[in-house]
Amino acid sequence: MAHQTLELIQGILYGNGLHVGRLSPTGRVFATLMGQHADTVPFMGPQIHDHAMTVARVPARKYYWDAELLVSTQIAVERWYGFDTYTVIPDAYNFEVEALGAKFIYSDNAMPTVDTNEPLIKEPGDLDKIGPLDPSKGRIPMAVQVARLNCEKASGPFAMGFFCSPFSLLCQAMGYPKAVRALRRDRVFAQELFEWAENQAIWPYLKAQSEQPGVKQSSGADAWAAFPNLTPEMVEEWVVPSAMRLKERGKKELGMTVMAGLAAADYCEEDPAKFDKEIMFKCWATARKLFIMDVALSAMGRTQDWPMEWLQEFAVANGKGRRKLPVYASLNGRFMRDSTPGQIVDKIREWIDIMGRDGRLLFFIANVPADAPPVHIHTAVHAVHTLGRYPIAGDLAAVEVVPPAFRPFDEWLKGQPEADVIFKAREGRAGTKIAR
Amino acid sequence: MPEDRYQPIVEAIVNGEDEEAPRLTQAALEGGAPPLDVLQQGVVAGILKTGELWAANEYFLPDVILAAEAFKAAMKPLEPHLKASKARQYGKKIVIGVVEGDVHDLGKGLVAAMLSSAGFEVIDLGINVAAARFIGAVKEHQPAIVGLGAYMTTTMLQMKGVIAELERQGLRHEVKVMVGGVPTSQEFADEVGADAWGKDALDAMHKALALVGA
Repeated sequence: MAHQTLELIQGILYGNGLHVGRLSPTGRVFATLMGQHADTVPFMGPQIHDHAMTVARVPARKYYWDAELLVSTQIAVERWYGFDTYTVIPDAYNFEVEALGAKFIYSDNAMPTVDTNEPLIKEPGDLDKIGPLDPSKGRIPMAVQVARLNCEKASGPFAMGFFCSPFSLLCQAMGYPKAVRALRRDRVFAQELFEWAENQAIWPYLKAQSEQPGVKQSSGADAWAAFPNLTPEMVEEWVVPSAMRLKERGKKELGMTVMAGLAAADYCEEDPAKFDKEIMFKCWATARKLFIMDVALSAMGRTQDWPMEWLQEFAVANGKGRRKLPVYASLNGRFMRDSTPGQIVDKIREWIDIMGRDGRLLFFIANVPADAPPVHIHTAVHAVHTLGRYPIAGDLAAVEVVPPAFRPFDEWLKGQPEADVIFKAREGRAGTKIAR
Repeated sequence: MPEDRYQPIVEAIVNGEDEEAPRLTQAALEGGAPPLDVLQQGVVAGILKTGELWAANEYFLPDVILAAEAFKAAMKPLEPHLKASKARQYGKKIVIGVVEGDVHDLGKGLVAAMLSSAGFEVIDLGINVAAARFIGAVKEHQPAIVGLGAYMTTTMLQMKGVIAELERQGLRHEVKVMVGGVPTSQEFADEVGADAWGKDALDAMHKALALVGA
């Protein structure tokens, strides 16, 4: 902990012009978020669970059931790539509804997935019959261990537990069409649904997380509430108040920072011809209310086609003092998979030119596809750290970035702390018994 | 442009009124309106208008979902009339399904609704569909197109297997293949050898029509 505190202090000092020693990767992030800039633009650990499983060649039926394996695999793969922080995320949308008895599909190569064709909630009367969640059921005990291990092993301030936020949980429990219909057509039922999700499904899980040593915060994924699944107005009406209720109760009763609604209002319009500056600004303004830190946020959207001048404009307009909001610039997962290394470098060069010169820029990937070629990810990290070195080169086009040489994962893994866990997981097969 | 008498059906669908839309449709049929007119100028016009509003950034997914449900509800009273009179000349068949290991059917449902509105006979295999079922359906129904959907980057890889099996069984040249779903892209469609990629439901409908030369 002392080490992390020192990294924090060093980062803040560095970001504010007092350069003491060499920045650690975590200190680099602190310097960017709490100061002007670090030594180079940082690259945050991405959402990587399926990709890490594929790179490490561990079977899904073990990976999604074994906390130690899941955390170790993601940390190892993220370290192999050289990200500045670790982000460890399980299949965060599944645990609550699975423990409550929803039907799931389990397969050898993919994460568990809920079958909403046989929904947990079919009619309003079901709410009285389902729950409260028993934290000894399903994979909740494993998920609680993921939270503990994450807080123990991952980068300090970004280490936390995970849960499924209320709106996304309702989509998992009853299907998106019925959930959105309730919001649009039956306010009373919608309020009952949110109350059920918060108190019967999520709260017992949060409580179990809070009882683990070191778990002081938990964040709730909410991709079902991204735009255009929900409009920013709907997020303001339903998701933000719900997140505030959970936050307040978490602080009061558990002494825990609870952040629901992550990815709600994330601008995910797919058609560049429909990109709308006014709607984007509304989405970013709403997302600010829900994110862990006050940032200008991009995540899962088709960012490769965004006019990034708009995100920069938003960050500058909403900054405090003379500093813009920190910008989370997220490279789209499909872009990372489908592009050539040269195209990836060009995109990073373009973004740093637009958003990096005045500092406060961080790179991220919202969800690395399982089959994204590793050379693409290695190239992206190398490019951000090369092109993003401060002071940023006047002519970025003149800075050459070649795809870096890297050792194959298995060769690199030998001797790493996670080696035994990963190599052992490849042996034999695992069952998928779920406690009901 | 739909006749005024069908405008209430159009509006009911655009507004996502899944009780009002079938009631108005039924009333029009009982009043003697030709089923094909009710279909084209009322029900289909409604879902196409919804697509236009979506394309114009005036409608978002919640609006489209409610409209699609109203469309499906309005089709129910129409179907027996259309079948009985053979009034609707289905152009082509399309077999559609979500690949094995994946149960996300929201997008697939929207695509099926749009294809149906465009005159395709849609054979919906549902979710978690194994390659063998796709192959069986292609043999049984001899569709013009087979549509494969996936929501996860892991399950989308199953599409390669389905296309390979079509090739192996000598069926690939008889059927066009479309792919779609959140993690897919034009590049992925090219990589797996699909004939088209549907970016969204409206795009899928236009591309399906183009594939069959309509």
